[in-house]
Amino acid sequence: MFTPGSKYFLGLTGLSFVSAVLYMFFVNPSDLGAVALIGVALAGALIAGFTLLTRDGDVFTADEAVEAAAQPITPSMWPMAFALSLAIVLIGLATRPIVFVVGVGLFFGSGIEWAIQNWANRASADAEFNGFVRARAISALEYPGLATVGGAIIAYCFSRVMLGVSKEGAPIVFIVAAAFVLAVGVAVAFKPSFRGKPALATILVAAVVLVTAGITFTVKGERHELAEVSKADEYNIKNRECGPESAPSDHLANNNVSMRSSVAATITVEDGKVYAQLVGIPTKVDSVTVPRSNFTNILFRNLDSEERRLMVNLGTQKVAETGVVEKVGTCTQLTGKGQENVITITVPKPSSADQQYSFTVPGVTGEIKLVVP
Amino acid sequence: MMNQENHMTSEKDMKTLTTVKSTRRRIAAGVAGASAALILSGCATNAPQDTWKPKGENAAKIDTLQKMVFPIAGIVGVLVLALAAYIFIKFRDQGQEIPAQSHGKPVVEIVLTIIPALILSVVGVFTFRTIFDLAKTEDTEMIINVTGQQWWWEYDYPAQEAQGITQPIITSGQLVFPVGTKVLLRETSRDVIHSYWIPALNGKKDAVPGRIHLLRLQADKPGIYAGQCTEFCGLSHANMRMEAVALSKEDFAKWVANQQKAYTAPAEGTLAKEGETVFLNQCARCHQVNGIKDATGKAVISAPDENVYAGAAPNLSHLMSRNTFAGATFDLLTKDCRSSVWDAASEEFGAKYLAGVSESCLNQKDLRAWLRNAPAMKPMYADPAKLKPTGGKYRGMPNLNLTEDDIDKLVAYLLTLK
Ligand code: HEC
Ligand SMILES: [Cu+2]
Repeated sequence: MFTPGSKYFLGLTGLSFVSAVLYMFFVNPSDLGAVALIGVALAGALIAGFTLLTRDGDVFTADEAVEAAAQPITPSMWPMAFALSLAIVLIGLATRPIVFVVGVGLFFGSGIEWAIQNWANRASADAEFNGFVRARAISALEYPGLATVGGAIIAYCFSRVMLGVSKEGAPIVFIVAAAFVLAVGVAVAFKPSFRGKPALATILVAAVVLVTAGITFTVKGERHELAEVSKADEYNIKNRECGPESAPSDHLANNNVSMRSSVAATITVEDGKVYAQLVGIPTKVDSVTVPRSNFTNILFRNLDSEERRLMVNLGTQKVAETGVVEKVGTCTQLTGKGQENVITITVPKPSSADQQYSFTVPGVTGEIKLVVP
Repeated sequence: MMNQENHMTSEKDMKTLTTVKSTRRRIAAGVAGASAALILSGCATNAPQDTWKPKGENAAKIDTLQKMVFPIAGIVGVLVLALAAYIFIKFRDQGQEIPAQSHGKPVVEIVLTIIPALILSVVGVFTFRTIFDLAKTEDTEMIINVTGQQWWWEYDYPAQEAQGITQPIITSGQLVFPVGTKVLLRETSRDVIHSYWIPALNGKKDAVPGRIHLLRLQADKPGIYAGQCTEFCGLSHANMRMEAVALSKEDFAKWVANQQKAYTAPAEGTLAKEGETVFLNQCARCHQVNGIKDATGKAVISAPDENVYAGAAPNLSHLMSRNTFAGATFDLLTKDCRSSVWDAASEEFGAKYLAGVSESCLNQKDLRAWLRNAPAMKPMYADPAKLKPTGGKYRGMPNLNLTEDDIDKLVAYLLTLK
């Protein structure tokens, strides 16, 4: 009555339903995780219904299907892969999360492959026909799965290479890689003799080169400039001067492209002077108006000859218990010559005659008024 | 005899025939009428958000482009559909033999690639030119910060010597700006993505938290131009409207002077003075009125950051200088007073708008209803029992359970905020 396919999906339904209940009970009854698990359960139930209705769509004509008499024993690598994946999961638990994740992936992959192969082996006594049954059940998963893994490996290795080679070398590597892809494509398209083994060999060689280069550059690390920047960030955060309480609001700001691409104003130090420019209008201004209680990005650009930092002075506050009046403010990291830093500020209270806000750069005269209406 | 019968039958037949004909005609007329009504309904006379009636240079650029692209696209669309219909009918399956299957005809394929490519490149050239024109900012004459939040727009005007703005101005709902001036809006958002769109003045531009997006705005003539948020932003998205008010340069200067006017507290012993006290107790924690002082003479700074999820509530310093409220959803003016402003000739418009809201023109009904129970007027997340997801903060204005007495006092007070 229950077809093999429907058993699989009924199992999936049951499992995800139980997980959903446990999740809602132990984690959170109303977040996306519960919705996702219930969604899986519903989808599983739907497909289980279809497979029951259509009997897995398994319709074989009499001459296609060979009567199942004996169980053929085909050698299978999946039990071994499955056992290996368990070992990797355990190693991962003890060592690094990434190993654990890879292990879990292998665990499910080999488990599904094993189950499907076993199921297919029962279709008939004819190994070839069983192979066909297996392929029909799993190919639609195998190919995209392998393609994803392959794509990820290519992307990872290639990105390591691009981060590792010098700035000047990068375009050349890029051009060579692109030209290679184009050449192989052209050869496959126009030279029938190249298709098949020669093409496969070429691609294999390229893959080996790519993976080797990827591993080499992963070990070697990022190119000098990039490595310097992240080291400088660490140094700057450790050596902040604008007050022990002010938390670094711009952690790794140097690398934050999205923040830098959307700033309300740019504040520049140049020749010992500070000036501001608002995005949208290039004229220099001496005050910056930002909306109350809203995240606002300010870009600090140091064109001076020395290291500088931008301070944001947000008036004063009285500490309730002691009555001591202290300054409120924050600042960017020390920023080298020709470098930029972004700081994100949120000012909950409007500026007024007795609460005046400003931007200053220690060591440089002049200030930019910060107006909060 | 036979003959006569025959004759009679044919007469009857004739009658049936006429009825059939007239029924068909009636159906045809009905269909034609209905389609005409449907098509004409697209031509409402009172459609302030009509994209086909540009009232400024930016919208005019879009309109010019659209008037060129629309016919081209239309002709191509009709041609393709007609050709497809012809092929469907001409070659439909009538049991004929399947014709010889061939593949490819280079001449046809090349021609059919080149023609669309040419059309697209012509359209493309004009489109890109318009896009770049609309993205230009070097010619800006004035900037206004526009901040969206659930479910109203805040405008603040940084100090700008050239425009006579010496202190920052802050307002909401109605964006006031001078005619013939190239204004640049700097849009952002305090919570979710919103989108600013005044169809008569320019296309739309998203307001995204953490980002500043620029939108040019320019109006040729004084008047009010309506718009609404065009990025779904939650419960009251449909009630997040806005109006752009263009004033002549002189009138704009008057408006600026009024917005920069200092606060004058109501005289002792008046109903408005009692209203100020109610305001300080009930409203000042969210709404800022610039310059307001408490009984001890200390300046009162509102704390919407502690009470409202977006961190802001409309600044009410000059509430009665605008003529709508709550995301331009309700009128502060009575119907008659409102139409006298909206329908004013452009020479008279400025003076009428600057008159603001007087006691006789105040839309008491809606303002009182708002003070009585704001969430009943406009859907908002303002049920104190359901604020867990926002950490106890309101999205919108809550029902403050005021007494009718307090509401009388408050209305008297709000009327002084000109
Ligand atoms: C918890 C904070 C809060 C309190 C307290 C509060 N409001 Fe509001 N009020 C808001 C918010 C938020 C809005 C914007 C609602 C919208 O348009 O979606 C608003 C809108 C308004 C508006 C429309 C303003 C405009 O320009 O659109 C008026 C008028 C108003 N409130 C008056 C009052 C008065 C009078 C009181 C005191 C009785 C009061 N409010 C108390 C949060 C508050
Ligand atoms: Cu919105």
